[in-house]
Amino acid sequence: MNGGKVTLGRTAGLYAGAAVLRLALFTLFPGLPDLLTGRVEISTPVTSFKRLQEGLFLYNHNVSPYDGGVYHQAPLLLPIFNLLPSFSTFPIFTYLLYIAVDILSADALLRIAESGEAGSSARFTSPRRDKRWSGAVIAALFLFNPFTIATCIGRSTTVFTTCAILHAIANAISGCHFHAMIALAFASYLSMYPLLLLPPLILLCYDRQKQPAGPRAPDAWIKFTGTMVMDVFGALAVLFQMSFMLTGSWEFLSSTYGVQLTLSDLTPNIGLWWYFFVEMFDSFRSFFLAVFWLHLSSYVGGLSVRLRQQPLVVITLLLGIFAIFKPYPSIADASLFLGMVPLYRHVFPLLRYSFVIAAIIIYATFLGPAFYHLWIYAGSGNANFFYAITLVWGLGLSLLVCDLAFAVLRDEWEVERPEMVGKEIRQI
Amino acid sequence: MTARRSTDHGAAGDTLSSDTQTATLTSTSTPMATPLEPATAATSSTLEEPPPEKLSDVRRRIWVIVSFWLIVLLLGLPIWWKTTTIHRANLPLKEMLDWADGKACRPVFPLRISIQANSLQEQEAQNLLRLTQHALDDLNDFSGHHLRLQLSSPAAAQKQKDEPDTALTIRLLPGEAVTATLDPYEPVLDITYPPNAAPSATSASSTLATYVAGQLRSTFAEEQAIISYLLSSNSIPSDYRPQGLTPEAAESLAKRTTRSLKYAPTYHLTFSLFTSGPLPSSWDIEAAIQDYMKPVLDLLSPIHNFTIDTQVQLYASPGVQNQVLSKDDLSSFINAAEWPLSPSIGGAPTVNFIVFVGNQTIALSSQQDQDAVAEGGLNTSQSWLIPQWGTVYLLSLPHDTAHVSVDALKQPLLTFTSHLLSLTGTPNSGSLPLRLSTLSRIRSADLLLRASSTLGSLARLALALKSISIPSSVADGVSKTIVHLRRACETLGEAEGLEHARIAEAEAERAFFEKSMVGQLYFPDEHKVAVYLPLLGPVAVPLVMGLLNELKAWRKRRREAAEKRKAKKKE
Repeated sequence: MNGGKVTLGRTAGLYAGAAVLRLALFTLFPGLPDLLTGRVEISTPVTSFKRLQEGLFLYNHNVSPYDGGVYHQAPLLLPIFNLLPSFSTFPIFTYLLYIAVDILSADALLRIAESGEAGSSARFTSPRRDKRWSGAVIAALFLFNPFTIATCIGRSTTVFTTCAILHAIANAISGCHFHAMIALAFASYLSMYPLLLLPPLILLCYDRQKQPAGPRAPDAWIKFTGTMVMDVFGALAVLFQMSFMLTGSWEFLSSTYGVQLTLSDLTPNIGLWWYFFVEMFDSFRSFFLAVFWLHLSSYVGGLSVRLRQQPLVVITLLLGIFAIFKPYPSIADASLFLGMVPLYRHVFPLLRYSFVIAAIIIYATFLGPAFYHLWIYAGSGNANFFYAITLVWGLGLSLLVCDLAFAVLRDEWEVERPEMVGKEIRQI
Repeated sequence: MTARRSTDHGAAGDTLSSDTQTATLTSTSTPMATPLEPATAATSSTLEEPPPEKLSDVRRRIWVIVSFWLIVLLLGLPIWWKTTTIHRANLPLKEMLDWADGKACRPVFPLRISIQANSLQEQEAQNLLRLTQHALDDLNDFSGHHLRLQLSSPAAAQKQKDEPDTALTIRLLPGEAVTATLDPYEPVLDITYPPNAAPSATSASSTLATYVAGQLRSTFAEEQAIISYLLSSNSIPSDYRPQGLTPEAAESLAKRTTRSLKYAPTYHLTFSLFTSGPLPSSWDIEAAIQDYMKPVLDLLSPIHNFTIDTQVQLYASPGVQNQVLSKDDLSSFINAAEWPLSPSIGGAPTVNFIVFVGNQTIALSSQQDQDAVAEGGLNTSQSWLIPQWGTVYLLSLPHDTAHVSVDALKQPLLTFTSHLLSLTGTPNSGSLPLRLSTLSRIRSADLLLRASSTLGSLARLALALKSISIPSSVADGVSKTIVHLRRACETLGEAEGLEHARIAEAEAERAFFEKSMVGQLYFPDEHKVAVYLPLLGPVAVPLVMGLLNELKAWRKRRREAAEKRKAKKKE
């Protein structure tokens, strides 16, 4: 905790600033929330606020919210939004909820940063760890990231998943395994894919557990892993049971997770799946769906083994991979990944392509909406325009993932080979 | 994803530098864990050898590779197997081909003809029957079309007539001379004979028998010709085929077949009144249909159902404005662009009947027509039939007629009725009841043959394309088709036969045009390379290379260990 002690006042000021900025955007530009809600870059079929409203309307009229095939989100979101005063008359309460969720996420990120886990984990301590940003800076980078702000204004329900994931990590670092697992269960319940974070999160919990000094029993990790898995699946079972009682049928499973697994809604988004499956032959569709999902999940094992010493890096890299390769990604996923990256300030000097990455991401950010407009509204372009720009976006993010992995590994390697610090290297 | 891979390796390549102080990074920068080997090419003396890899690093790398391969082998392969195996339901291919080749069913139409000879002695009648049957069998060269005579006793006459499977009843009546007349309303052939023409109980030949046989043969000549034409146009083995079909007869039959509509259980009749001006604006079509067409529709009802709608269109301009229409004009007379003649309402094919009120006429120009002109004095005509589509009738009325009465519609509707019969494929000769019963037999044969050939096509398709999937619904349809075909074959010539043939044909069509199969028709096996390779190729390269490199390194380590042991032993 030597990167500048953060006073309570400074963080409070930061949060207040972020809240005021968002509130100002909500109230001063009344058309902005609806404009952003309609953007495919922000709202995907599984996170759209518009679709949530549709589900809410059906739910309030005692019709199954999944009738009509528009709503694909978790059933428990409905009573939460139902508790708020009606959105059409008092939108301010919904705005406040989204602002609060963003600030909670930032708070979790601040706790993660303050712990210093990124620089020195239980098994590895980076020689560069002193060079780091304070938690407030990292929280500010997250809160004032235009992607995060756009997601908040667009009221995508991904923010709840983001918040749950960040709290799971923060709790795992602070040693509250049970809370971490509950938070992960919530994230998985909302979006399904965070379940893939379970192995690295268990490793993180295992490394950070508070325990009496002395050697651990050799098979302690089996018992520990079992408990963690039981916690997650127990929490998930409770959530599913509650959803079942709420909607009266198990229909929600196929309407929420089924849609993500089978990609039945082919609305364009910034991911790489939709175009591929628009073009796919029907007879190969199920095979390639499985290939895409296996590809997404295949990184979990390899990264966890390779970066066993730094589980937080594994989680960060996986979040980056998910932001590129998951079925319905949006800029909200990118904002979560970009929020985690500044934790590795100490390896930034080892990044090789920081300029290229920044240029590509900015390029894609500006050209994406333009090409989408050309395709959908102007009619002077076609689907390939938008797909090309999503490929560029994916390229930028994957460069960042690779470069970060490279930097972290080089950092590890320099501990082994101190004589090589600062030398040019070549991989063979 | 391809982009991602290439950047991984590209990134590694970019660090190549001319610096002599090149070192190696003994770990991977990618999640795919590209295996590494210690730098072997020590080209420069300043290059220092990196320290040997630690055992823990090697083990870790193996674990990374194993973790990827486990997913490929344990999840990827079973999923690939499960999602891309082609479901081929078992089809009775042999049986299907037999049907198509006509081996499974020999289409035989046993026509029962009963003879009522109330004025003859039992013995005499029996002898006459025997002689007539002999004469018939001598005349007949077509085994598929059998006329079987039977004697009906006077008591059973009434009962016999009610039996539907009696195709024709011959009433032998004593009279002045030998004459034959078909009853216009019932399937009855009245034959009168002078008293001396009746054969005695023992005579070996009889002119009356020959005459009856000749009459029967000419009555059924058209039906026989049509059925033999149907059989010859399908792949029925030639020994069932009649020999006597002349090319001219075949051509006229082909013309008739192309003119008639494809068989459907229901036809939709559209009656349209088109006028060139504002008048007339109404017509008594319902009453006219009731009076002039309904009787025939009722007679056709065992074979077809009909739905009817009518419309009136004012200020309709025809496609040709000439006063006298020539033969070439007729094809462009229908103004398809403007006249609201919907192609089909519901699933049933539409038959259009158009009454066009105007003063146009049709010029008769062909030689045959000229002859008719010379005889009858008429040199124009009012109506023409459009093959498989319907009929147009040009009706000329006084200019101020606002309402078309039933009487004015009589001639058009009678024309329509007779055209409807030819559109449905009814034969031309004979009395109406006979024509209709012939129609049902022709249609059964037609449907039976069509369903069989569809089955054959499906079987050949399944044999030709080994990789086409055959859903169980197709197998279902095929088995249903075969069941109904078999029953239709057994009951050919009866009302039931038509029903079974109709179901068989519908099922066969449904099975052949199964949606999921049609798409795969144009998907050869070579295309699979194009489907798999672009994505799985780039994924497979690092996976396979990683595995190979690791195996190589493992073998090298083993050899070194063995050499070390040997060296130790020598010492």
